[in-house]
Amino acid sequence: MSNKMLTLMMGFVAFLILAVGVVFLIALAGGGDDDDGSPADGGGENNRSSTSGKICDGKSLIVPGDDPSSVLDPIQVADVSTAEYVVEIFGGLVTLDPDLKVQPDIAKEWTSSNGGKTYTFKLRDNVVFHSGTAKRVTANDFKYSIERAADPANASPTVLAYLGNIVGLKDRFQNKASSVTGVKVIDETTVQIDLVEPSDFFLSELTYPVAYVVDKEQIEGNARNWTQKPRGTGPFQLKEFKPAEKIVLAKNDRYHLGVAKLDEVVFELAGGSILTRYENNEIHIGGFPATQLDSIKSGQNPLSDDYREVPEMAVFYFTLNPQKAPFDDPKVRQAFAMSFDRQNINTVLLYDAYRVADGFMPPETPGYSESIKSYSYDPVKAKQLLQESRYAGKLPRIVLTYSGSGSAAPDLLVAIQKGWSDNLGVEIELQAVDSSAFLREQRKGQFQMQSDGWAADYPDPEDFLGKLFASDSSLNYARYKNDEVDALLRQARIETDRTKRFDLYRQAEQKIIDDATVIPTFWPVTHTLVKSCVKNLPSAALVIPKYRYVEIKDD
Amino acid sequence: MGPGLAGYIIRRLLWAIPVLFLISITVFAMLRLAPGSPIDAILGQRYTEEQAAVLRDKYGYDDPLPVQYVKYIGNLAQGDLGVSTRHRDFTASEIIWPKIWISTQLGLIALVIVFGLGIPVGVYAAMARGTFIDPLTIAFWLAIEAIPTFVLVTLTSWFFALKLGVIDLGYEGVWTPNMTVPVLVMSLPGVAGVARFMRASVIGVLGEDYIRTARAKGLKEQTIVLTHITRNALLPMITVIGLSLPGITTGSLFVEVGFGIPGIANESLQAVLAPDYDVILALVLFGATLFVLANVAIDILYGFIDPRVRVGAGRGQ
Repeated sequence: MSNKMLTLMMGFVAFLILAVGVVFLIALAGGGDDDDGSPADGGGENNRSSTSGKICDGKSLIVPGDDPSSVLDPIQVADVSTAEYVVEIFGGLVTLDPDLKVQPDIAKEWTSSNGGKTYTFKLRDNVVFHSGTAKRVTANDFKYSIERAADPANASPTVLAYLGNIVGLKDRFQNKASSVTGVKVIDETTVQIDLVEPSDFFLSELTYPVAYVVDKEQIEGNARNWTQKPRGTGPFQLKEFKPAEKIVLAKNDRYHLGVAKLDEVVFELAGGSILTRYENNEIHIGGFPATQLDSIKSGQNPLSDDYREVPEMAVFYFTLNPQKAPFDDPKVRQAFAMSFDRQNINTVLLYDAYRVADGFMPPETPGYSESIKSYSYDPVKAKQLLQESRYAGKLPRIVLTYSGSGSAAPDLLVAIQKGWSDNLGVEIELQAVDSSAFLREQRKGQFQMQSDGWAADYPDPEDFLGKLFASDSSLNYARYKNDEVDALLRQARIETDRTKRFDLYRQAEQKIIDDATVIPTFWPVTHTLVKSCVKNLPSAALVIPKYRYVEIKDD
Repeated sequence: MGPGLAGYIIRRLLWAIPVLFLISITVFAMLRLAPGSPIDAILGQRYTEEQAAVLRDKYGYDDPLPVQYVKYIGNLAQGDLGVSTRHRDFTASEIIWPKIWISTQLGLIALVIVFGLGIPVGVYAAMARGTFIDPLTIAFWLAIEAIPTFVLVTLTSWFFALKLGVIDLGYEGVWTPNMTVPVLVMSLPGVAGVARFMRASVIGVLGEDYIRTARAKGLKEQTIVLTHITRNALLPMITVIGLSLPGITTGSLFVEVGFGIPGIANESLQAVLAPDYDVILALVLFGATLFVLANVAIDILYGFIDPRVRVGAGRGQ
């Protein structure tokens, strides 16, 4: 090794090794500190982030997002991940404000006549589609949009559920008619919609994307690809869409309800360590693992100041198939409902991540009533009920199916399984089924017992109770049928007096819970972190157009 | 490089066709027969038979399986990889090529680092055998290799982004400073393997007669190490490099998920979970094709480096 050249080469390698070694040793040593969990260490990091203004300077909001699982076409949206974008890009006659109240959007006012069966909307005359064409939205655009939604060739998954009450819509959807007779263009700025039966929640239904207005010219000009650059009327327009990478929405300078204060909203879709990136001031809104919930909520964590709890208008529940043994006996169902301690599970296991569901509809739902009571934890009574049931001492094999992948079952299910085992002496098998297969089997009513969830699309009891428990609803996968409940729900559907209507739903809800075909367990909550320079971000329990209110301002 | 070689290459490539057919049939059938379908995933809780029928018709899932397969192959022959059902606005090509390109660039950078570092380290360790430097060098790189990738991802993001504050973690393109850490995490654990392989190879060469001859001739040590030892020891390394080439296009799952890089490994995982039939098939076929091509390429490369294995040379065999 006497040669210069060789020495140089070896020296270079040795240097590289040394450099990498030093860096990693420091990293490891630092990592050791962190494992001690000294809060002071974390505090130092956060101070850096709250004083650093690197993302608090501009007018661009950067948030983690989900890949839309559908196309950006209002009539195809059936999921929250796609609705997030569609409600910002498109708009309809009416919209929801941050308090979830129905407000004018393209319609500036409306009247209801004919006993609540006819709605007449007067449109604004200054609403234009995106993309500089400045094409005005008229009554004809609404007629086109609703008829397009009802066109069976377009197979909208939601049109029947939300607009099925419009006269002639079902006929169009079943190809028995060539137009939707209930939607009439009175003049350029007046649309009249006739309903089959009076409805107090029709306006709420109109806030769902399927009722939004689309640009006929664009769709007919580019039937295959228009959703990659859709022209809507919403507060933002789609600027960039790279699947699984990012979606960029840019403000609509001509938005009729007030131009957004942000220039753009960047949704980052590729994932990564959200919390680290949040702490590093790369994104404005972040999340964190459940294990940190306790310390963040209690205010000990440096991130506590940024913590925000957003309730979701959704519910988790178990469905016990009343057509399969042993759940054809109500006593068995009640025994199951009483024998796991939701409060305890939530506190001990879930860091209080959820709210214990006292009823089916969460408190954010209009018409929510505190008087609804679900079965409380009562192991003694549960055991007694099981003894009295037809299946006392001879329970068949019971399988609880949930949507998920193979590995370990969620802690929550394991804890509830343990409750049934401890209190009833019943061993339940947990079965994970891949999500799409789960949905298929669910439709066929194959499961004996399953773990379910439902998220509202518009704020009304009808969207929970009518959709899931009316025996004629296509979404009643629980195969629930109770004549009294059916009568109440039918009556509620056409009642136009809101107080009376909510009272009917209240009665129906209590009966549904008493039947114990469904056991509501928890109302979910979204736990997020929001940088302090992000002002006026609405915390709505539903997907609503919200980014136009937001302003980035350091204080 | 006579006609013999060309014939050999053509024969090898022709053999690839039945292999790819077999793979495509198997994967195609496995996907279609597995529980769950893209239609269920698309319609979710609001599934109705009417909507499912329209979608099945649109995607051609109503045809019998053999018909679907033949149609698929027909389209494939024209370069049409089908449509994505997970990203319903896009074709499978629009999804996979940009993502493969992202992963490939990162993989290439990592590959250069792995071999660029691994080969000299291996030579260094071999030349220093008998001293403490040899086991120490190898042990150091083995220690890095021993750290699980997901630990390395967490550790490095925390250290470089939060502790030092030198870089950001978000993906903003391959050739940005943000990719430094992901590339290091992809490459450093691979150095040990290459170094050990190279070390063994060099030690093997050191015992050869021609090395002793070279020394006896009084050649400079530099010439001996660089020309005689390293060049000969590199020969088996060709296979290693060649076989790792297809791998760089598939990306590193932990790194892509951990750092939020929109590469192909991330996409493959989601495609399988979706399921996204055409994207999965396209990825499998792409991977298989590359593997076959890499094998052929290695055989040819061998010929350049060592005339003794040159195919169809017709002399000295």
